[in-house]
Amino acid sequence: MSALEPTTPSVAKRGWVSRPFALTLPALILLAAVIGYPLLTIMVRSLSEPQWGVQNYLWFFGAPVNLTVLQRTFVISAWVTVVCVVCAYPYAYLMTAVGPRVRLVLVLCVLIPFWVSGVVRTLSWVILLQDSGVINSLLRAAGFDGIRLIRTQTGVVIGMAQVLLPFMILPLYSVMKGIDLRLMRAAQSLGARPSRAFFTVYLPLSLPGVYAGAIIVFILALGFYITPALLGGPRSTMLSTLVQTQVLSLLQWGRGGAMGVVLLVTTFVLLALAAPVMRSRYREAGRR
Amino acid sequence: MQKTKALYLSAVMALGVLATAAFAQEKPVAGEVKEGSLKGKTLTFVSYGGIYQDGQAAALKEFVDKSGVKLLNDGPTEIAKLQAQVESGNVTWDVVDTDDLPPYVYCGKLFQKLDLTKLDVSKIPEGQVGECSVPAMNYGVVLMYNKEKYKDNPPKSWADFFDTAKFPGVRGIDGSGSPTGGLLEQAFKVAGGDPKAMTVADIDKAIDVVRKLGPDTIFWKTGAESQQLAESGEADMLMMWTGRAMTAVKNGAKYAPAWQDWLVVMDQMTIPVGVKDTDASYALLNAYLGKHAQEVLAEQTSYTPINSDAQPKVDASVSAFLTNTPERQKQGYKQNFKFWVPNFAVAQEKWSALMAGN
Repeated sequence: MSALEPTTPSVAKRGWVSRPFALTLPALILLAAVIGYPLLTIMVRSLSEPQWGVQNYLWFFGAPVNLTVLQRTFVISAWVTVVCVVCAYPYAYLMTAVGPRVRLVLVLCVLIPFWVSGVVRTLSWVILLQDSGVINSLLRAAGFDGIRLIRTQTGVVIGMAQVLLPFMILPLYSVMKGIDLRLMRAAQSLGARPSRAFFTVYLPLSLPGVYAGAIIVFILALGFYITPALLGGPRSTMLSTLVQTQVLSLLQWGRGGAMGVVLLVTTFVLLALAAPVMRSRYREAGRR
Repeated sequence: MQKTKALYLSAVMALGVLATAAFAQEKPVAGEVKEGSLKGKTLTFVSYGGIYQDGQAAALKEFVDKSGVKLLNDGPTEIAKLQAQVESGNVTWDVVDTDDLPPYVYCGKLFQKLDLTKLDVSKIPEGQVGECSVPAMNYGVVLMYNKEKYKDNPPKSWADFFDTAKFPGVRGIDGSGSPTGGLLEQAFKVAGGDPKAMTVADIDKAIDVVRKLGPDTIFWKTGAESQQLAESGEADMLMMWTGRAMTAVKNGAKYAPAWQDWLVVMDQMTIPVGVKDTDASYALLNAYLGKHAQEVLAEQTSYTPINSDAQPKVDASVSAFLTNTPERQKQGYKQNFKFWVPNFAVAQEKWSALMAGN
């Protein structure tokens, strides 16, 4: 009897374990086909082209430019994550604190840019950030010197943070809306100052949302291509651009694959290092 | 009796048809298309999109109407995608418009060696027909400068472009991907070298000259960006494609070209290895090379036609940037193809490092 049949007794027995699994099958098959298989191909090609061996990895670690850019990719992504947390936290909190109508407006403000193509948004940033752009014109009109924003890492971080902000706000909001605000009042009634109540009660309870959002933003940022290409200069080139050069203009699929694998493995290592911290935080938050 | 006669007749007729076909194959004329010759067939033409590919489609309209072929447009051209098609034995791109170098670098591997008895190349400017390619159009990379910034003392050459002491200001350089051989040769000249005798080690010297332009240098990623840099005045001197330079000036950019040693570049038309109907691809190429097709292309895109008979009707702002006049032909600088083709990968590697801030 197939596990898909809901009436069979065996399913009823193991019901809540096997049924969700069966229901996720389509997603699993899709993931295996569109992510698993290509990923495997990339790994194999990174070891098999032009001939079998680790030549592509030796090349990667032998060229200083690759290491500089790899490090830069992580630094930029980290900054983007920090900016997103700082901007999203109060915003998500505001979403939980207002009435349904204002909340709808706030949600739309997050989602509408999300529906606009990333290229369009990036080009809008070009108009805002460039030397003769809106921000610099306003600064000059106010009597300040202009500042260099476009083709700098600052510009790239600003543009990427805006594109990725929804990925931080939405998980944060979904966690925050589950926090019982009466806990804060309880803390205050026991004599805690508002700031103390926030740091010992609210913040730990909201941390799972921060972690979830941060991980999503950080990982998405690592693979960014268009935004750093258009808003950045040579000093903000990220790894994806180098991969593109290797694959698209030099036809070095092996090298491009090796770069992808290095990025993936480094990301896993970093997440594995961060995991214990997050897990202990989760537990702490759960206990309180 | 009747039967033999009929047989005889049909044999003669068949011979006649064969003879005409053979004759037609012997002497193709650029732009000529046989009525209904490709009925029921489909060709996929691949190029870079935008107004350029629109213009190419317009130039091929007559070919489509006459031959009865169904023409599909795809793009943008990516050599890696083509490589994947050739390797998997499933080539769906029938005619591909590429950059300058790829047909030379991958001749015989990704691109077919062209059978010139199937094409009329007699009207193509001298020296532009490759073993695996015919030109798709000509254009130039030209030094554009801000007229208001440099006023009475404008830069006149690439040497001035690389001289930030005499000509202070922000430079904009093509950073869309591959290095431009001609620009590196000009840079090498500034470093005191002779581009005709360039060696691989000299690529570093040339790139150093570019690097010395300093951190303010803008590497534009797309033609549109270069145009935007001119129109907003972000850069004081720009290395630009002539088509973009023309549009920028038309849109009011206060920039002027310094034509001395403008870099001659072209797009190439190629037939990939392993296409399903080679002759149909040749028919498209031959139609594309025709006088009328090239006129339409030039009128729609402002790129320079590659049929020397073509006389496109364009207004003064466009013709100012056409590069096929005798004067422009004299000022043009042709890159050292023989050097760049075998050293393409090395040059790309070093250029990418510069692009990545190293």
